[in-house]
Parts: sequence; structure tokens; C-alpha cells
Amino acid sequence: MLKNALIDRRTCLKGAGVSLALPLLETMGWAEAIVGKDSRPPVRLGFMYMPHGVIMDQFWPASPESFLTSPPPALESLRPVLDRCLMMKGIAGVPISPFNGAPHALELSTWLTATLPDAPTRHRVNIAISADQIAANYIGGLTSLPSLELATMPQTHKENQEGLHEAYYSHCSFRSPTQTVPAEINPRSVLKRLFGQSESPGKSAEVDPLDRQMLDRVIGGARDLRKTLPQGDQHKLDEYLDSVRAVERRIAAIEYRQKEAALEKAGVPSSRRHASDSPPIEIKIPEGDKRSEYMQVMCDLNVLAFQTDTTRISTYIGSTPNGVSYPELGFSDQHHSQTHHNHEKEKVGKVAAITKFNIDQFAYMVKKMAGLREGDGTLLDHCIMMWGSGLEDGNKHTRENLPFIIAGEGGGSVNTGRFLTGVSGNQGDLLTTLLDCIGVPLDRPIGLATKQITEMKA
Amino acid sequence: MMQSGIPFQGRGVPPLRGNALPGVIMGLFLWLPISAWGDTDVNDEAFAALQAEAKKGFSEEVAPFVKNYCADCHGSKKRKAGLNFLAALKDPGQARYLKQWKLAAGNVKDHDMPPDDEEKLPTDEERRRFEAWIAKIKYLSPKDPGPFVLRRLTKVEYGNTLRDLYGVDPAVAEELPDEVFGSGYLNTLSPLQSELYLGIANAVVDQVLAPEGKAPTAVQQRLFGEPPGEGEDPREAAEKVARRLARDAYRRPPSAEEVAVLLDVFDLARENQLAYSEALRLLFKAVLVSPQFLFITPSETIDPEEEIVPLDGYQLASRLSYLLWSTVPDAELYELAENGRLQEAKVLEAQVKRLLMDPRSRALFDGFGAQWLGLGDLESKTFDEAKYPLMTAGMRAAMVEEARLFFEEIVRENESVVRFVDSDHTFLNGPLARLYGLDDAITGPEMRRVLLDDPNRGGILGMPAVLATTSFPNRTSPVKRGVWVLEQVLGEHVPPPPANVPPLEEQDQKEVAGLTLRERTELHVTNATCANCHKVLDPIGFGLENFDAIGRWREVDDGGGAIDASGELPSGERFASPRDLKAIIATREEALARNLTERLLAYALCRPLQGYDEIVVDQLMEAIAKDGYRMQTLVTEVVTSYPFTQRRVR
Repeated sequence: MLKNALIDRRTCLKGAGVSLALPLLETMGWAEAIVGKDSRPPVRLGFMYMPHGVIMDQFWPASPESFLTSPPPALESLRPVLDRCLMMKGIAGVPISPFNGAPHALELSTWLTATLPDAPTRHRVNIAISADQIAANYIGGLTSLPSLELATMPQTHKENQEGLHEAYYSHCSFRSPTQTVPAEINPRSVLKRLFGQSESPGKSAEVDPLDRQMLDRVIGGARDLRKTLPQGDQHKLDEYLDSVRAVERRIAAIEYRQKEAALEKAGVPSSRRHASDSPPIEIKIPEGDKRSEYMQVMCDLNVLAFQTDTTRISTYIGSTPNGVSYPELGFSDQHHSQTHHNHEKEKVGKVAAITKFNIDQFAYMVKKMAGLREGDGTLLDHCIMMWGSGLEDGNKHTRENLPFIIAGEGGGSVNTGRFLTGVSGNQGDLLTTLLDCIGVPLDRPIGLATKQITEMKA
Repeated sequence: MMQSGIPFQGRGVPPLRGNALPGVIMGLFLWLPISAWGDTDVNDEAFAALQAEAKKGFSEEVAPFVKNYCADCHGSKKRKAGLNFLAALKDPGQARYLKQWKLAAGNVKDHDMPPDDEEKLPTDEERRRFEAWIAKIKYLSPKDPGPFVLRRLTKVEYGNTLRDLYGVDPAVAEELPDEVFGSGYLNTLSPLQSELYLGIANAVVDQVLAPEGKAPTAVQQRLFGEPPGEGEDPREAAEKVARRLARDAYRRPPSAEEVAVLLDVFDLARENQLAYSEALRLLFKAVLVSPQFLFITPSETIDPEEEIVPLDGYQLASRLSYLLWSTVPDAELYELAENGRLQEAKVLEAQVKRLLMDPRSRALFDGFGAQWLGLGDLESKTFDEAKYPLMTAGMRAAMVEEARLFFEEIVRENESVVRFVDSDHTFLNGPLARLYGLDDAITGPEMRRVLLDDPNRGGILGMPAVLATTSFPNRTSPVKRGVWVLEQVLGEHVPPPPANVPPLEEQDQKEVAGLTLRERTELHVTNATCANCHKVLDPIGFGLENFDAIGRWREVDDGGGAIDASGELPSGERFASPRDLKAIIATREEALARNLTERLLAYALCRPLQGYDEIVVDQLMEAIAKDGYRMQTLVTEVVTSYPFTQRRVR
């Protein structure tokens, strides 16, 4: 099992315990920005998921040459930004033996871990820290939210494949091998979490300055309690201590932001933001229950969180591998039931429509990013957004060529506008490369990775 | 392939570590003279004899079988499918091997293992004996109440606790992520949750306390008492408040250190020039984000030499109260814990009855019953709107309400668990009555108890909530219904279909064109891989085909073909209607009761059952059977059981 120790301890903002002191932040990049040395926008990394794979001949481009000029039907909505997209065929998913009867329980949970659950303890969560959380550990301390987790459906699926814990169905983010990171499904709550009671984009959440010191004392008390407990209980309490410390760090980061804002107001030319940057986008929370509108507001929140540098890491589980239907597309069939289509035309058509629908929402998000000025380019230029699925062909549960689309050049680290065929590598290699592109140093590869996919780099 | 097994249905926590030794527990029996534990010595002796027999069987029969037929592929050298039976043989009773043994028994029995192309194959007699010995493996488990770690309050428990302690609307906790139930409420805590806890604490404090300078609210007066008068020490007054707040919120008296921490927070506020009442506000907030509030923590320090200890009175009170009420213990429970009387068998039994008769015990349905019946997703489940326009939000709510009232009546009236399957009445309102064809007689939105003439109805098998839950959005699913009856009602374990086999609805359309749903479903039995399980579960589903996907009676199916609800179970029992099927299932009272007992025990312990738990369930079943499988007895037996009242600490 991989542990938190994956990343360089120097900046893994834990351990010291008490709270994140401001000086630590100031040694890590922001301070330079304040004195005007380096104002390059930070690189952000976002993931968006759809289960059950794709209709292959409608997803994979016909050839590298035709990628930009005549993209496959599923990618139609991405056409305006294809030159900033990268596709690669040949990245294999994690082989799921000995859990052969659990293709859907594992497609999402292996997606960002590239690791299988621990077999003897399969009835509880025991897998590996996920790539997004490794990144959040490394760069999350620089923003008021280490990472943002969004989902369209509640993560409460109840089905038991191969005795695996239910949480594997609906979670992609793991803070540690045994801790899932829950995602938020209510756009209002997300807005409030990003920007506080005011729900006013661009402003930091408000915090009670005494809360941090109060938490500090509560943590001290919890440590005393810990000493009196048996070992198993101590582990449980460690989770508490760890999560409350994260809240302390978040408050510290918000306070730092407030301090920075005050400086800016007083005329100190401070932040990373340029005068020419686009103003924060507006969030309109839809009234009805149309899936497209709902997914688009979640995408907007992701864009806004990146644009305001409230976080630099996000995951959006656009759909989970359970009984999800798309009434908006004119049929009530559940996604999964159609993916076992046996090449029957009607079902293939429905799966293609569902896939296109999901990619359309992703396209909505990246096109919005491409329209926002930031630094000497656009927000998208400083992001790596990856859309994908944990299966290639839902009909046969294959995962030899995972379908995914990368959008954004990641601050010049990814060479886009290409469709690469014959790439050889696995899901772990891909994740390892992505983290390298956003500047997260790893002391060991992720999951089953053995190398980096150098072909994708700029 | 069908195995009757322990449902892995609890709320997950780590598995057994090491080898806990029995012992240290004799004191317990002084106050547990109930049920199978009544005659302790005899039981322990009998258990020891069974254990000796099982040990002998393992070394004389199982070990040679494994070495002859299994170890080449599943041994120390090759470990196909991650299985090493040679390692398991060294300590076969270990909880972590239990599932592996049961799987092996099933595979050997069904001739799935060893593979047919092996040179050496066991005889049928050898297979039978292997299976028989594996069934006795439970006796090799050391006596052990199982692991028990600090448990975080669930979202519902947390909201209810805030309501009962401070009179706030439990919706204050709405933003917390929903719990992942099933084989596990995840007893973990993420930064998001901690952050929300802090936000909720702020909201609670704002709701409960009057703004600075305004007259205190009634709750505030109860919590904070009078402010210190002229010449009184505010810190002494604050200490009293801290003690009171912590006693309520921690569900036990706070230790001196715990009070000191809260006073430290008070001092922090005072150093920052906050007024007395504002400083108490911060102290109150600290209580609400403390682990002692969010987790159920023991009140006594455990002797590090101990391995298994009884729960202290406060912990037992909380465990009981959160099980049956999903909320904090009330004053009576607290007092019994304080006086050290709750562990007395008679007292504990009486408290179970009292809690079950209290309206708050609807939590047992909301938390356990609905989960058992699988109704959790009904509210959000998609139905084809054109085909089933009746499936409105109101209809779904009424369906769940019917199940709830039905469940609660069986609990309150202390009826036999057989009533779940075989009953002559139900609860309906006007809209729901339409599904029963009773809408002439029953109108209006309120639910009421209704006697049923139709013997096909009455009981969970003919209840719309269940029938709808086990259907697809646009049609019934005999397979899902069959699985539901076997697993949820009878407690069998139905293995998942092999990978890459398309479900029925994905069969080649040309092949199945013109067949009725039943005829298509019967294709399962023509395929050897499928037939093993489907020959058992499909007939049960056929028996319910007279109910459509939302639970209405019908004589013809969607294609216009007449419904054929007849079938035969492997036991040879035949049925021709839902009513017949209901009657057959109702005779399986022992299986039904055992299933409910196992599920409730796992739910109560917040973990999957394992190892020694099976022995515990055997013993509970004796007592429950003696009392005619009554529901209150079943709950009482679970609450007074060995693993519920004891905890392993090492």
C-alpha cells in the first residue's frame, strides 16, 4: 500500500502538528509573486469521469492526421479547442484479477490510484492514495482549499461485487489507502465552501480568527485523550487529528489570502493576478433538474475555483457506475444496461448519445476556460483537464486502451493538438506523468506505473 | 453455488488482528443470565467439545484433502487467485480465512474446483466430507467479541443528537456527505467533514445563543445558567458550564483534563477581550468540534493488560441508544449508566423494551429496516415516466411509509418475524390504494391500517415498495426479485454472475424475439453456467410476476401474454401464485429469523460478522426460537449478546 510519504516531505504540510504557519507559505512561491519577481500563473489539474466506456469507433479519431480536421462524432463539441487537446491510444487500465466479477466496482476507484484494493480486507476500504490527493498534499497548502471534489450523484451506491466495499463504486479520491474523500453534490454548498457565507465569487471565505486557536486547543485535548485509548482507537483518533489539522491549514490559507487582499487594497501591487485577467465568472444555480444544466454549474464552479486560485486540484465524478439514466436524451434506460449492447444498433446509439452528452459537458468547461484571459494566455493554458472512463468497451468490460481526453497545455508542459497512436503504457504511467507535468515530485511511481509517458510532454 | 452465509452487511471496521485469547470474561456472566448464556458452564463445555472435534477433523480430513487437491495451485509456491490454503491450514479458525474456506467448500461441492482437467479429482464422498468439515470451522474461532473501535456518529445520528441536546433542527447537518451504507458506513473522517462540523458548530451556536447584549434564550439559560454575580470568579462559573456541556455532549462525565481543555479555550477568549458570554460561546463551539462529541468514546481508561473488557455503562447506554433511537441516551439511560445498573440483565432488557415502545424507535426502521428491505434508493430511482406516471414523489414516499408502519407494528406488537412475510393487513393512503385497486374505499392522504381480502397481498413480498425496488425502470425483473427474496428474506448468498456474461436484457434480440419475459428468462437454465443459480432464483421471481414494476396486480404481461406465476423450488415445493409462494416462504421462519438476527447484529456492531459471531448467532437463535421468533425478543437478544456488551481492546 502506498502511503502519504509519496511526496517530498519538505513541503508535505503535516507533521509539525500545530498549524500551518504563514512563513511556510511565504517560502513557497506566493511571496515572490508579492514582491513582483515571478507572476506566472500556477498550473492546475482537473479530472472528470464517466463510467462504462465508450463506443470505440465513435470515440477514437480515425488517424493522427485527421484528428484536427475531422474529429470523431463524440468529440464534435471539442472542435474549437482541439488544438489544445491531446489524445493517446494505448494506455491500459489496471488488470482487475482476482476481482474479475467486479468490473464496475473497480473502474472508478482504480482510475486515479492505478492500484487494486487489498484482497484480504476487501470488505472495507483499503486501496492507495489517489493521484489528485498526492497533488493536493503537495500544492494544496498554497490555496485555501487543497482540492475540490465534485460529483453528480450521492456516493451511496449499494451493491456488492466480489465482496468489495460499496464505496469503491462511487469514489475516485482517496486521502490515504483507507480514507475516501467525499465529493460535494450540491452547487450551493460548493459555492459557500469556496467563498463563504457571502457566496460572492472572488472573495475568500470568512473565518473567525479565534477558531484556529480554538481548534489548536481541541487538538491538544484530543492528543491527551489519544494516550488513554487502546491502539485501534488511537488510529481512529489520528484520522480526526489529521482532518482537523487540515481545517486549521485551510483557515491559515484563508487568512493569508485576506492579508494579501488587504495589501492589494492598500496599493501594494501584489498578487499573481494581472490587470488584464478576466473577472471571476458568474455562477447561476439552475432552478430545474435538467442534468445538463446541473453538470454545467458544477463545471462552472470548477472553472471559478481554478480561476480565483481557490484550489489547483479538482475531480468531478460526472456520473457513477450505477443505475443512472438520462431522461434529457429522450430515453429512460439506465446507462449500464445499454452498454452491454452486443452491437445492437439502438443500444449502441444510446451509449454514443450518453458519451457525447458527457463529453459535451467537459467541452463546455474547457471552452469556458479557453475564453478566460490569464497572464499572457488563457486559463486553459495553465490547466491540465482530463476527461475519461475506467473502461474502454462497456460491452465487454475491456480496459486495454482507456479512453481519455487531455485538454490544456499545463503551463507549457503538455504538447497538445495531437492524437498519438501506439503509445505503450498503463494508467499509473499516465498519472505519474501528469503529476510530473504540474510539478509534483514523486519519490516512487503511482500504482502499477513503471515509467513516464514522455511522448505526451512538450 | 448457493451458500447460506453470514451477511457481510455491517458497517466496516478493521478485521481481527492476531489471535485474541478467550478468557477474562467470566465476570460478564454474573449479569448475563439470559438466553443461551444462562447455563454458562455447560455451554462452554459443549463448545470446548465441538472445538476439539473440529480441530481433529481439520487435521485428519481437511488437511489431507487440501494437500492432495488444492495446494499445487493454492499453496505456498503458487498462489492462484491470491489463495494459499497451506497458510490457512496452520490456523484455520482465523477470521481472515473464514471466507476463503466457505468459498472453497462451495466450489468443491459444485465441482468447480479442482478443475476437471486435473489428474487427481476427489470422489463425491470426499467432496461431501470436505464440505461438512468446513461447516464446522466456526468452532475453531477463539471466543472474541470482535474488534470495536471508536465510532463516529453518522450524519443522521449527529443531526438527531444536536436536536435532542439543543433543540435545533437536525437539518442543520444537511450539508454533511451522505453515509455510504451497505457493507459499510465508512467510519472515517475527511477534512471536508471536519470543516463542515466547524461550520455546523457555528450555525448551532448562532441558533441557540442570543446575540451579545440580548436576553439569553431558554436553551442558553439551561446550558449556561446564571452569569457570575458581582465578586464571583468567572472562571469558576465557566468551569461549571464546561462540565455540564461536556457531560451532555460527551454522553459521560468529562475527565479533569477534558474540562481543563475547555477552560483553556475560555481563557483564550478572555485573553482576546471577549465578554463572559462570548467566551462561553467559543467554549461551546469547542465542545461541538471535540472528538468526544463526534465519536462515542469510553469513559474509563483501559488497563493495557486487558484484551477483552465489558463496555462501561455510559458506552453501553450510547451504543443502545444510537442503535434503537439514532440519538443520544436520554436522562433515564444516563442515570442507569451513572448508577452502574445498566449492565444488569433485567435492567438492560427492560430498557430495550422501553426504547422500542418509544416513538423515537422509528430510527430502527430508518436506519436498519429500510436498509434491510433495500428501500434506500426508491426515492431517487428512475422509472419510465410515460409507462408509470403514478410513480410521483408522493407515491414513493407513501410506499416507504407503508413499509415503515408495517415494520414498526411488528416491533411494537412484538409479533413473530413470520408476520413480515405473512400478514392479513397493511397501511395505505388514497394514492397508494390505487396500486392495490382499493382506491374506492380508501381516499385522502393520511396512512391507515387496512385489512386485506386478497391473500396475494399482505407482507413484504406483495408490498409495492419492495416490488418497485426490485424492478427495472420500465419492467419487472424476475431475477432481481428472486435474488432479493433469497438474500434479503432468507439470508442466502447469491454469487454475482460470472464476468462478461450479458444479462438477460442484453441477449441477442433475434434469438429471443417473440418470447415472453418468462420464456426469455428461462433461457438461463439452458446454459450450464447460468443454470446453477438461476434454477433457484428465477422461479421465485416468476412467482411474483403478477405484480408489475410498481406493484400493481396484473394478469397479462407487457407483451400481452398471460402471466404464468407457477414454479417449483429445488426442495420440490410447487406454487402457482404469489399467495402460494408467500405461504412457502412463511414456513422458513428459522431462516428468516436467522437472517434478521445476523443483519441486526452486524448493524448493531457496525461491522461484518465474522469468526466467533457465528457461534453467538447459533446461541441467540435458540433463545429466539424458544420464544416463537418474536421481534422484541430478537432485538433484546442482540443487545444483550456477548459481542454487543463486550469489546476487544487489544
